[in-house]
Amino acid sequence: MTVMVELTDVRKLYNGGSPQAAVDGVSLTMQQGEFIAVMGPSGSGKSTLLNLIAGLDRPSEGRVLVDAVDVGSLSETELARFRRARIGFIFQFFNLLNNLTVLENILIPAQLAAVSPTVALDRATALMNGLGLAEKQRLLPGRLSGGERQRVAIARALINQPLLLLADEPTGALDSHAGEQVMERLTELNRRGQTILLVTHDAKLAAACAGRVITLSDGRVADDSRLKASPEVAPSDILRLRPGEAAP
Amino acid sequence: MSLRFGILGLLAEEPLHGYEVKTRFESLLGGTWEVNIGQIYSTLQRLERDGLVAPADDRGDRGKLPYHLTATGRRTLDGWLRQPEEEPQQLREEIYVKLLLAGRLANGNVERLLADQRRVYLQRLKDLAGLERRSRDEGRDDLALLVRGAVLHTEADLKWTDAWAEEIRRAPKRGGRQ
Repeated sequence: MTVMVELTDVRKLYNGGSPQAAVDGVSLTMQQGEFIAVMGPSGSGKSTLLNLIAGLDRPSEGRVLVDAVDVGSLSETELARFRRARIGFIFQFFNLLNNLTVLENILIPAQLAAVSPTVALDRATALMNGLGLAEKQRLLPGRLSGGERQRVAIARALINQPLLLLADEPTGALDSHAGEQVMERLTELNRRGQTILLVTHDAKLAAACAGRVITLSDGRVADDSRLKASPEVAPSDILRLRPGEAAP
Repeated sequence: MSLRFGILGLLAEEPLHGYEVKTRFESLLGGTWEVNIGQIYSTLQRLERDGLVAPADDRGDRGKLPYHLTATGRRTLDGWLRQPEEEPQQLREEIYVKLLLAGRLANGNVERLLADQRRVYLQRLKDLAGLERRSRDEGRDDLALLVRGAVLHTEADLKWTDAWAEEIRRAPKRGGRQ
């Protein structure tokens, strides 16, 4: 197994009068191909943790390795290049550019990374087909539903074939049906090998998608649970309407 | 109790014999309630005694007799269907009592139990989400709604363990012997 992310005694302090630790001594290892969900109440350090792994923020103490690169040691230019090449991002509010079409939005990261236009277009077409967006490629985001916008954001996040996909509350702005579709896309991506780190406060989303759920509390890891893939068992092994009256 | 009304409801669709009632009842609830055939027969007999159902024919093997709903049975069923459920909330899970007692006997030291219980709930959420998806794939949207109910209950259980853990973290002395 290949280690994708390794955090060692990571702390992140913010100075607001007295220094406060948003992330307070977190160590964890994430293997390639894992799907981890990070849960916890607001202010527990979830987003800070994500930003540290994404190289959007530097640790005050400790070390963040992503694909064996010490993120904290990179210059701003190197960090930008690192993010473009290795990290895909999905946000709660999609962050699409409203004056560009679906296809143009998806192609932006490839252009920034100087991927050849032919290769980029091939990848974009494959992604749009896989995400059910082929019919929508010439539309502006304003013409799309929330679920469709988030699928565009997923395609954009994957265009540079990142080693690590980071998702920050990706279903937070969607109705439950669209949320479930996004959830299924993420599960499918992971099944095909994509390493995914998902930040959410939605326990069902976390448990349904991820094989491992990490819970933060006051900037520390309060729990790290590995879940078993759901077996195809009889419904009564999962849910009993009247437990006392089911089979002995 | 709802097996009684479940049977009335199924017979309102068409006359059925005991074994058909069993299989249809279990299929209605997606296998989340397994009921033995003896219960079906004894319930049918009580319903017949009360005049709510009647055998379609008096002769032959009683096990193979189809039953139909009487007019009284139909009125009783309709009344039940209109009535909202007002039973008190039932919290029967042993974990409630276990946590209360562990809190007293272990001087409030229930963090380990809470963490383990939390994992059980997370795994359950995963299993339920799988069952909900399978129900939808099989075209059983009604069953998916039943599973959704279980999901919401499990989410509540999870929040409740979090609230308990939070309480302990904020005030370590509380939850112990008082």
